[in-house]
Amino acid sequence: MLPEVKTFWLPKQGNTAEEYEDAFSFSISARRFGMADGATESSFADIWARRLAESFAQTPPEGTDLDAWLGPLQAEWRSSVPWDRLPWFAEEKAKNGAFSTLLGLELMSAPPPPPAPPPPPKVGFWARLFGVTPQIAPVQVPEGPSWRAVSVGDSCLFQVRGDRLLRAFPNDKAEQFNARPLLLCSNPSWNHTVRHAVKAVQGPREPGDAFLLATDALSHWFLTQHEAGKKPWNVLFELRAESDFESFVSIKRKEGNLKNDDTTLMVVRWQSA
Amino acid sequence: MPYSAEISRANPSCFIFLIDQSGSMVDPISGSEGKRKCDSVSDAINRLLHNLIIKCARGEGVRNFYEVCVIGYGATVAPAFSGPLAGRDLVPLSEVANSPARVEERIKKVSDGAGGVIEQKVKFPVWFEPVAKGITPMGTAIAMASSLLETWVPKHRGSYPPIVINITDGEATDSGPVPQATVLTNQATDDGNTLLFNCHISSQPVPPIVFPDSDASLPDEFSRTLFSVSSPLPISLRELARSENFTLGASSRGFAFNADLVELIRFLDIGTRASNLR
Repeated sequence: MLPEVKTFWLPKQGNTAEEYEDAFSFSISARRFGMADGATESSFADIWARRLAESFAQTPPEGTDLDAWLGPLQAEWRSSVPWDRLPWFAEEKAKNGAFSTLLGLELMSAPPPPPAPPPPPKVGFWARLFGVTPQIAPVQVPEGPSWRAVSVGDSCLFQVRGDRLLRAFPNDKAEQFNARPLLLCSNPSWNHTVRHAVKAVQGPREPGDAFLLATDALSHWFLTQHEAGKKPWNVLFELRAESDFESFVSIKRKEGNLKNDDTTLMVVRWQSA
Repeated sequence: MPYSAEISRANPSCFIFLIDQSGSMVDPISGSEGKRKCDSVSDAINRLLHNLIIKCARGEGVRNFYEVCVIGYGATVAPAFSGPLAGRDLVPLSEVANSPARVEERIKKVSDGAGGVIEQKVKFPVWFEPVAKGITPMGTAIAMASSLLETWVPKHRGSYPPIVINITDGEATDSGPVPQATVLTNQATDDGNTLLFNCHISSQPVPPIVFPDSDASLPDEFSRTLFSVSSPLPISLRELARSENFTLGASSRGFAFNADLVELIRFLDIGTRASNLR
């Protein structure tokens, strides 16, 4: 059985769909899900966010470090900017590079039962991530079905089982959204400090667990609701059409409970072990 | 809460700069190795417009988050843009970006990303030229800003309030600035009253006093008068200034005394970094 995925997105109120700078992408067969939030204060951030999300889903970092994975994406970004026709201010702005968050999720099946040997642990990107994040235990392949996630910035992942929130990552408190997050930049000069801010986690899952990926405005609302004792995932599970999402977001923005920002949600459920 | 409106293309804010162009502006500014006050001020204004444009640049254009006006006062009181914008008062930021009088090339020291510093040629657009001639009709200049806002404010009720920044080196030669400043700062959007910041630059080699919360340490009647008409800093700007290592009290005002060029630019930067720019 394949994972079920639902996605919803809406630009910031007052902006057009072309000005939407979040991005999401997934590969059902590879069971990888990427989301990115291009920083609105930078230029051409939509292109950068899209490359990050798509690359995570399609060609995830493998066997190399983060810089090596980012290198070709940065080159693609540079060649997609129409430098020749940019006026002085747009050129100066674009030279600073585009900034974006990245949130990546991968779902894994249970390893084959004994006596078959467990699959070899993945080395490379994931191992390196865990290696550079001291608070995370070394990679161990869980015995049952599992998931892994990587994050730079404040796009968040929520794991929900039944009517319980099991895990929120990387932020697990609403107050954590106040700080300006470190972001991945299309200009390598700005990524020296970011590589130490890459966070990675893993955990067990059960068939039917829901994984919600959301950019910061919706993540902040989600954690605020949860801290007030509510179960914010229920209303998100009920969303069917884009129009449901539009009215939900519009109401929350009007109430002042949802920051007016590009807003993106992905709900992933996999019934298989 | 006042002073929290989001600044967007639908709800732009505005800046008005009032620049003293009296004869005494040819004297050197304190701490700038003999650079004339009028040159330091024009560099500061040009750099500020440049930074504002870069901040609002997106993709191939500039978003009109602001309208900007520069008024000079000296021999005359009049809009002070040079080049294609000469004679214009409030100009949308994208038009400012596309219409500098000229673009100079200057050398800037920048980080090489690996702990070192390299020299880089940078473009330095010029919209405003130094002038130093005549007297100090500050009251008339503030009244001109007020009259622009009488038209602007009713059309932008939901906007972040206008910010007016007055840079001067001396005492007004007309009835200003108190009565005109009162009229100006009484003009309010739904988000708060117009903010008036005053910057007194000087040739005296004494340390700058920036964002004071009383007039106790100010040396003369004129600086105390300017302090009295300067707006108290809204909470958001107070927090911003603190994060930039300014020392502030709860009733700090948008006033700088004897700011040298470095302090002048830091002061102006705080004034133009309103929160919630989208």
